[in-house]
Amino acid sequence: MAAITEKTSDRMTVRRVQIEGNRERYAWLFMRLSGVAMLVLAVGHMVIQHVLNSSTNLTLQFVAVQWSSWGWKAYDIFLLWMAIPHGIRGLFNILSDYVHNPGLKRTIGILLTLFVVATVIWATIAISLFDSAMIP
Amino acid sequence: MSSLILTVRESIRYRGRSGQYSWLAHRLSGLAILFFLVIHVWDTANAFFWPQAYVWSLALFKNPLFGLGEIGVMAAVLYHAFNGTRITILDFKPEWWRHQRLSSLITWTLFFLVFIPIAVLMLSAMIGHCSELASAGDSCLRIPAFSEFAQYAR
Repeated sequence: MAAITEKTSDRMTVRRVQIEGNRERYAWLFMRLSGVAMLVLAVGHMVIQHVLNSSTNLTLQFVAVQWSSWGWKAYDIFLLWMAIPHGIRGLFNILSDYVHNPGLKRTIGILLTLFVVATVIWATIAISLFDSAMIP
Repeated sequence: MSSLILTVRESIRYRGRSGQYSWLAHRLSGLAILFFLVIHVWDTANAFFWPQAYVWSLALFKNPLFGLGEIGVMAAVLYHAFNGTRITILDFKPEWWRHQRLSSLITWTLFFLVFIPIAVLMLSAMIGHCSELASAGDSCLRIPAFSEFAQYAR
């Protein structure tokens, strides 16, 4: 809980709010920065993969052509690093509105963090080690 | 749980107008994107770890039921992106907070202007795919069998 100190003189009341730590603020800032990054990366990804190309003719061979270039690999890895933490943090923000037990909230936070780490590592390994030469 | 039910009910009943509708749409679109994203990321990782499962899922996602979901994800991403930009701008510009109604109207307008032509393109790709399969005596509604992609087994 944020501590509020109040000082009342005869003319006015001054309230100072002390924020408990910086983690919440960094999380807030991350949501804005990753959001702006994804305005280009995620919307770009959607337009390139789902409009200019189409899922109706997507093949593993098409993926192999894209991931034969380190530029595309870097694009996808960067988008992955922005999107998964952004999405899970958003889920945590929503859950925080309904979970009022601090212990349960903390447990959910730890589990979601582990999920982010596992997903990001797993998918980063997949993208970086993907070898187009191995695709028939 | 009771607070969740209360929120769902009051989200529908509460007449917060533009600001509240934006808040609700932002949450719902965010949840929808996250649901899709987690499946998408773990599925795409299979292109490396388990190619047969990946190629099978590619065939499955060509089913128009998934195709409609894909159009839904497109809508969610576009709205979430535009409204997120609005939130970010207003976070840094408190003096613009009085334009809450106007800014959400601009967001919705921009969203429909971009989404409608894209939805038409995606729908026509879907219909094209289905009629192509139909003329080959196949159906786009058929659920592909895992064994059809045995050549990708490792």
